[in-house]
Amino acid sequence: MKAERVVRGCFALSLAASVGLSLVYLAGGSRAWEGVLLAAALGGIAVGFILWATRLIDAPDNVEERREQKPGEGLGLISEVLEQSVTGVSRRKVLAGLASGAAASLGAALAIPSLSLGPQPGRSLFRTLWVPGIPAVDSEGGRVRPEDVPLSGIITVFPQGSEGAGDSQAVLLRVAPDLLSLPEARASWAPQGCLAYSKICTHAGCPVGLYRAQARELLCPCHQSTFDVLTGAVPVSGPAVRPLPQLPLAVDEDGYLVANGDFSGPVGPSFWNVTQ
Amino acid sequence: MLLRSLLAAVVTTIALAAPSLAQQSGRELYERRCASCHGPDGAGREGLGPSLTGAGAAAADYQLRTGRMPLQNPQAQAVRKPSVFSEEETRLLVSFVASLGEGPPIPSVDPGAGDLSSGQSLFIANCAACHGAGGNGGAVGNNAAAPSLYASEPQTMAEAMVSGPGQMPVFGFSEQERSDIIAFISYLQTSEAPGGIDIGGTGPVPEGFVGWFFGLTGLVMVLVLLVGTGSSRAR
Amino acid sequence: MIRYVESRLGLDSWGRRALRKVFPDHWSFLIGEIALFCFIILVATGTFLTLFYRPDAAVVTYEGPYEPLRGQEVSAAFDSVMRLSFEVRAGLVMRQIHHWAALVFVASTVVHMCRVFFTGAFRRPRELNWIVGFTMLMLALGLGFTGYSLPDDLLSGTGLRIGYSALISIPFAGPYIASLAFGGEFPTENVISRLFVLHVMLLPGLTIALLGAHLAILWRQKHTQYRGPGRSESNVVGKGLWPYQALLSLGVMALTAAVLALMGGLVQINPIWLYGPFDATTVSAPSQPDWYMGWLDGATRLFPPWEPTVFGVTIPSMFLPAVLLPGLFFTVVALWPFIERRLTNDAAEHHLLDSPRDEPGRTALGVAGLLFFTVLTLAGGNDLIALTLDIQVESMTRFFRLAMFVVPPVGGALAYRICRQLRDSREHPLGRGSGVVLRRTEQGGFEEVPRS
Repeated sequence: MKAERVVRGCFALSLAASVGLSLVYLAGGSRAWEGVLLAAALGGIAVGFILWATRLIDAPDNVEERREQKPGEGLGLISEVLEQSVTGVSRRKVLAGLASGAAASLGAALAIPSLSLGPQPGRSLFRTLWVPGIPAVDSEGGRVRPEDVPLSGIITVFPQGSEGAGDSQAVLLRVAPDLLSLPEARASWAPQGCLAYSKICTHAGCPVGLYRAQARELLCPCHQSTFDVLTGAVPVSGPAVRPLPQLPLAVDEDGYLVANGDFSGPVGPSFWNVTQ
Repeated sequence: MLLRSLLAAVVTTIALAAPSLAQQSGRELYERRCASCHGPDGAGREGLGPSLTGAGAAAADYQLRTGRMPLQNPQAQAVRKPSVFSEEETRLLVSFVASLGEGPPIPSVDPGAGDLSSGQSLFIANCAACHGAGGNGGAVGNNAAAPSLYASEPQTMAEAMVSGPGQMPVFGFSEQERSDIIAFISYLQTSEAPGGIDIGGTGPVPEGFVGWFFGLTGLVMVLVLLVGTGSSRAR
Repeated sequence: MIRYVESRLGLDSWGRRALRKVFPDHWSFLIGEIALFCFIILVATGTFLTLFYRPDAAVVTYEGPYEPLRGQEVSAAFDSVMRLSFEVRAGLVMRQIHHWAALVFVASTVVHMCRVFFTGAFRRPRELNWIVGFTMLMLALGLGFTGYSLPDDLLSGTGLRIGYSALISIPFAGPYIASLAFGGEFPTENVISRLFVLHVMLLPGLTIALLGAHLAILWRQKHTQYRGPGRSESNVVGKGLWPYQALLSLGVMALTAAVLALMGGLVQINPIWLYGPFDATTVSAPSQPDWYMGWLDGATRLFPPWEPTVFGVTIPSMFLPAVLLPGLFFTVVALWPFIERRLTNDAAEHHLLDSPRDEPGRTALGVAGLLFFTVLTLAGGNDLIALTLDIQVESMTRFFRLAMFVVPPVGGALAYRICRQLRDSREHPLGRGSGVVLRRTEQGGFEEVPRS
C-alpha cells in the first residue's frame, strides 16, 4: 500500500538523520545542521507515526457509555469514613475547631520567617548616596568640570566612590543658561547651565538614556515618558507623572562639579507614600 | 631672473589666495545650492534651515557625505541617501561652512586602533538607548528616529559623534573612545549572527511573531494536513 | 519486554479498559497535547541547560570567544550562558530550542484555552479543570518570565526592574513585598538565585502536579466531543487509546519537537551577547518582554499620566495597568464557568461541545476579550511599529489607546452577527456556501443558476 511505503520511508529518513546528527556532533558540531538533522529525525518519526495511526491501522470509531454521574453517590461513603474518626469524641465541634485553629496558626507561624527574605524598606526609597559636597564622577570615577560636558551633550554621573550605583545614577547635561526655566527655588542648582537629574524614570524605573538634544527632552525607551530638561524634567508626554528629581549642583574651588545635597524628591517610580 | 621672480610672485599670490579662492567657489556653491534654506552667509532661514554659524566642518561633512543635505522637506527628518555632491564640491562646501564660525573640525578616525570590548561597553552606555543594542535604530519620539548603523562609514560615524546631528547629542569622546566605538559598530556590520537567521535583531517582538506564525500556526497547519479536519474518516 | 512487565505487574480489568478507552478524534483536541509536549521539551532541554548554568550574581571576567565582551566584568550567571552558547557543543541549539519552545508553549496553551472556551467545554462538570488549566497558564507566564531573566542580560534585567516597580506600586504593602521578593532595593544580588529556584524547582513542580490533576480529571470525566451522528450527552464516540491515540500522540510529540528543533537550529532568538550583561544604569531600545508579557508592557505604555492621591495615599501610575487590570481580568477568566452559569442559568452537565456559532453571546465576549489582549500586546511594540511604519511614536500610542476601546466591542459585535448568520443559514464558515453560477446563454447574455 502506498501509505505503508511512505511510512517506511519516513522512518528510514529519520534513521539516516539521526546518524547524520551524531556524525555532525562528533565532527565538531554545527548549530544549523544540528537543528535541521534533529528536525528531520523527529519529523520522520512524527509523520511516520501520524500516518501509521491515520492511514495504516484500522481504527473504527468506538462508543463508550458515560457513567451516570449521580451527584451525592459517594457522599454516603465519605460521611461514613469521616464518622469513624470521631466515634470516641465527646465534643466534636470543639475538637475540630481547635485542630483547625492549631493547623492554621502553625501555617501562619511558619510563614513568618518569609520576612527574612529581605530588609525592611524603611526610608531607603527616599534616599540615595548623594550627600552635600560629594563630587560628581563619571562611570570611570573621573571628576567632571562644566566645560567637560559639551553643549547638547549628556553624561551619566554618580557620587564619588559609588560608580555604577543603581539608585544614585544621574544624567548630567549642559544647556545655554538663558534657556533655563527652572522653579524659583532651584535657580542656583544649575551652575553654568549644567543640569543633573535622576536617571531613573519615575514611571517604571528604566534608565532614561535617550536625550533628544535639539528638543532638550529626556526620553525613556521603555514606555516613552518624555521629560523637558529646561523646566526641571517635567513630563511632557507618556505615562510618567512625577518629574525626574533634580540634583542640586555647585562648582567647587577647583572648578569641579559637586552635589549640594540629595535629589529634590524620591528617585524612581512612585509608591504609596512617595510624597512624604 | 626677472621671469623667475615674476613666476615666484605669481605662484605665491595664487598660493596665498587659494584658500580664499576655495572659499570663493565654496561660497558660490553655497549660494546656489544651500542658501535657499540656510540663508545668505549661513544666517539661517526661519522654518527652512538653521543657522550654520559655528556648525563646524564635522557637521557639514557629515550632512553632505551621507547625502542628508540637500534636504527636500525641511519638516521631515533628514535621512541617508546618495550624495549629490562630488568629492571636490563637498570639500569646498565644508571649508566654506567651517569659515562661518568656530565649530568642531573633522575628527581623525583610526578604526584599526579601536578596542572591541571597550567599544561594546561604550556603545551600550551611550548609543544603545537610541540606536539599539544591535545597531538597528529606534524611534526617539516626535517623528525623529535614530537610524540603523549598518550603512554607516567610520568617518561619518565620528563626525556624527562630535557634531550631534538632529536630535543626536554631542559626545565629548576622546579619539581612542571614538575609535573603540567605531570598531565595535564595524564588527556589528560585518559579523554573522551566531544563532542563525537574525529576524530583524530588534528583540522579542519579531521573535514573538515568528513563534506564533511559524511555530504554532505552522505546526497546527502541518498537523491538520496529516490528520484531516473531520472527526470521522472513511475507511 | 512487554511480557516481562506484564508478568510482574499484571494487566487487570482496569488496564484492559484503559487501553481501549475512547477519545474523540478531532484535530482541535490536539492543541492541548501540543502544549503538553512543549512542556516536556522544555523540561528536557531545560535539564541540559541547568547542568551548565550558574545562578550566581558574583562578578567574573568574561574570557570566552565572543570578542566584544572579552575582558568585561559580568555576572557568573551571564558568563555561564555565554559559555553555553559559544563553547559548549550543541549548547546554543539547546538554548534556542528551549526559548522557542517557551514561546510556543504559552501560545498553544492560550489557543487550547480558546478552544475550550469557544466550545463551552468548561461547563459542568469541568469547572474545576478550567481552574486547574487557568492556574497552569499563570504558572507558564511565571516560568517564562523567570526563565528569560536567568541570563542576567540587559534586556531581561530591564524587565526585572519594571517588575520591581510594579510590586512597589501596590498600596501600603508594595515596598515591603518588593523588598522581600528581591532581597532589598533594586538591583540586588539575591534575585538571580531566587529566580532560579522558582524556575527550576517550585514552578515546574507545581505545573507537573497540576498537569497530573488536569489529565486525571480529564481521564475520569472522559473527554468532550462535538455533535455528530451517534454522539450524545451520555456517550463518547472516538478512537481507542491503543493503538490509534497513542500512535497519534507520539507522532504529535515528535512533530512539535521537530518544528522546535528546526527553529532552534535555524532562527536566532534572545542574543544575549548583543544586549550584554545587565547594568542598572544603561538601557537599550527597543525594550520589550517576550510576547506573553507584551500585554502588560502595552498596558503600561497606553495608560495616561494619571497618579491620583486618595486619602493621602498615592496610587502610582503603574498600579492600575500593571497590577489592578491584570488582576481583575484574570479573575474574570478564572471564574468564567461560574459567571456564565449565573448569566445563562444553565446548571446542567454538558459533554457535547457547542459550535461557536451556537452561543453567539459567549463567542462575542471571547472575541472581544482576545482582541483586547491582542491590542495591548501589539501596543507593547508601539515604538518598533512606529519605526517600521515611519510614524511618530506618540501617534501610535494615541492610535492604540483608541483601538483598545473601539476594537474589542466592534469585533465582538461583528462576531455576534456572524455567529447568528451562520447559525441561521446552517452554513460551514469555510464551506463553499450556497451561491450562484453565471452561465452564458445562447443569445449572449448571462443567467444565474443556483450552485448545486
